[in-house]
Amino acid sequence: MSNESRNLDQLQRWMQTVISWPGGVEAGIDSEAAQSEIPLERSELETVVTASSRQTSLERMGIYANAYYARLLECLSEEYPALVSAMGKTAFGAFSMEYLQEFHPTSYTLCDLGAHFPQFLTEHKPPAEENEFNWTDFLIEIATLERVYSEVFDGPGIEQETLLTAEVLNSIQPEEWPEVTLKMAPCFRLMQFQFPVHEFISQARKGNSPQVPEQQLTCLAITRRNYIVRREVVSQAEYLLLSKLQQGLNVGDAITCLAESDLMEPEELGAKLHEWFKHWTTAAFFIDVSKQ
Amino acid sequence: MLKPRLGHENLGLGVGLRTVHFPHILEHQPEVDWFEIISENFMDSAGRPRHVLEQIADRYPVVMHGVSLSIGSTDPLNREYLKKLKTLAESINARWISDHVCWTGVAGRNTHDLLPIPYNENTLTHLVKRIRIVQDILERPLVLENPSSYLEFQDSTMSESEFVCRMAEEADCGLLLDVNNVYVSSVNHEFDPVKYIEMIPAERVVQCHLAGHTNCGTHLIDTHNGQVIDPVWNLFQLMHQRTGGVATLLEWDADIPPFPVVHAEVLKARKYMDENLPVRNQANLEETVTNPSSAAIPHPASFIVAEVE
Repeated sequence: MSNESRNLDQLQRWMQTVISWPGGVEAGIDSEAAQSEIPLERSELETVVTASSRQTSLERMGIYANAYYARLLECLSEEYPALVSAMGKTAFGAFSMEYLQEFHPTSYTLCDLGAHFPQFLTEHKPPAEENEFNWTDFLIEIATLERVYSEVFDGPGIEQETLLTAEVLNSIQPEEWPEVTLKMAPCFRLMQFQFPVHEFISQARKGNSPQVPEQQLTCLAITRRNYIVRREVVSQAEYLLLSKLQQGLNVGDAITCLAESDLMEPEELGAKLHEWFKHWTTAAFFIDVSKQ
Repeated sequence: MLKPRLGHENLGLGVGLRTVHFPHILEHQPEVDWFEIISENFMDSAGRPRHVLEQIADRYPVVMHGVSLSIGSTDPLNREYLKKLKTLAESINARWISDHVCWTGVAGRNTHDLLPIPYNENTLTHLVKRIRIVQDILERPLVLENPSSYLEFQDSTMSESEFVCRMAEEADCGLLLDVNNVYVSSVNHEFDPVKYIEMIPAERVVQCHLAGHTNCGTHLIDTHNGQVIDPVWNLFQLMHQRTGGVATLLEWDADIPPFPVVHAEVLKARKYMDENLPVRNQANLEETVTNPSSAAIPHPASFIVAEVE
């Protein structure tokens, strides 16, 4: 193909294909995708990319190809440090390579690069393991929580909001409470895991090499205060009640759901409710109330 | 006749804002002339990065430097991106908005790298048209930086310096002259960096970048991971003499040292800002190989790690 007939679009599509080809530059040049843009023998690369006195055109293309995966892998490693710790660098790198083939980076920001990693791991879970929790689930759960941390850290928060005060809550008459609905903070997340992944992640992010924990149902309430992501373990009863409130049920209906769940004895529930709501308000899980 | 720096202020000696330095800057409020941010790290932020930026923008002049405009791509311009860019610039009173003479992806993808374009008439027409559209949308002149590059195309019919000069004149945009990039590319493509600097229309240079790079033996890579070497300082001095002085900024993106070290590095520029100093001998434009087997990679963009209790 002559230089005159080769337009910029062809050249860019060709170069992007070649430098991001998982098998390397030479395989990239040979690929159907690259050949459809610029039909080329490897030996003819110099008709597209010039050589220097110290480097061949292939070596020069290789700089971009090496940088492509190295940079993206570095970024994913920074977002998922605990997953790297759990999987090991080699396995993480291999999964990342597969991930980047399936989810090409398209966003203008690197913050979106790892957004689909938990989904990718879930979709590539070995079929034989579908009905049992195991090592793969542990990895998926780590990835899920690390991604939530990223989203909560840089997403909408409550730092500029006027928070609920005790005065506001005290102004609600006891008979009005069942009809009250609560507006959750935009940074609030409720998560349920089969492993205490939060502890593993915290240790890994401190640079330690944590042991893989025993399976243990773990409910987490995650939010952000003063621009730092906070997470705390909540009981299954708290999780159920918070999830119902998050779904928009009023306080009365949410409590009824919990009472019918057999997670707590009625006397125990009655004693705990006040303590819970007080703490959740202090922790700014809610940012507003409305009386229907 | 054009005003120097297209009328923009010479902001002095600034530092690229990096998250590892947030605590130091907020606590000590160092006497830095100005900061440059990576635009994409703040455009969508509603968390700590944006909160810190607002505090810094209250105290220091801020300039926005982007890595994803992809002005050279054949993909349509991302108008949603441009809208967010403009909104951020207005909210932090950014003195100007810059990006690179490059493309970052095509067919909807973003490689997150600053990829080279062939320097010819067709590409020039393509870029000039797109720069004008961007300037209309942003309602301000765009400032574009010469990239470091590691390959050249057979399709090029002119030098990078000629392309950049004509692009700036025809699109009526500003230039961010990265003297480290000039040096890196001059070694990689075997051209004279002094002639490059001498060719640039001085009055269009709004800003200058300084940085360290990695010498891989057969080529240099723009890694932003160390001190500025003497040959690059010499080019800076020449640039300073030609322009009369422009806002100058140090980029340090890998192996980032404490803030005072980074700040001290850019302050070295003062030594080269005496217009009576002669430009150093061309024979000094040599350096030793520092990392021949390096897996060095350029760092045009960075990921901001979440802070968790």
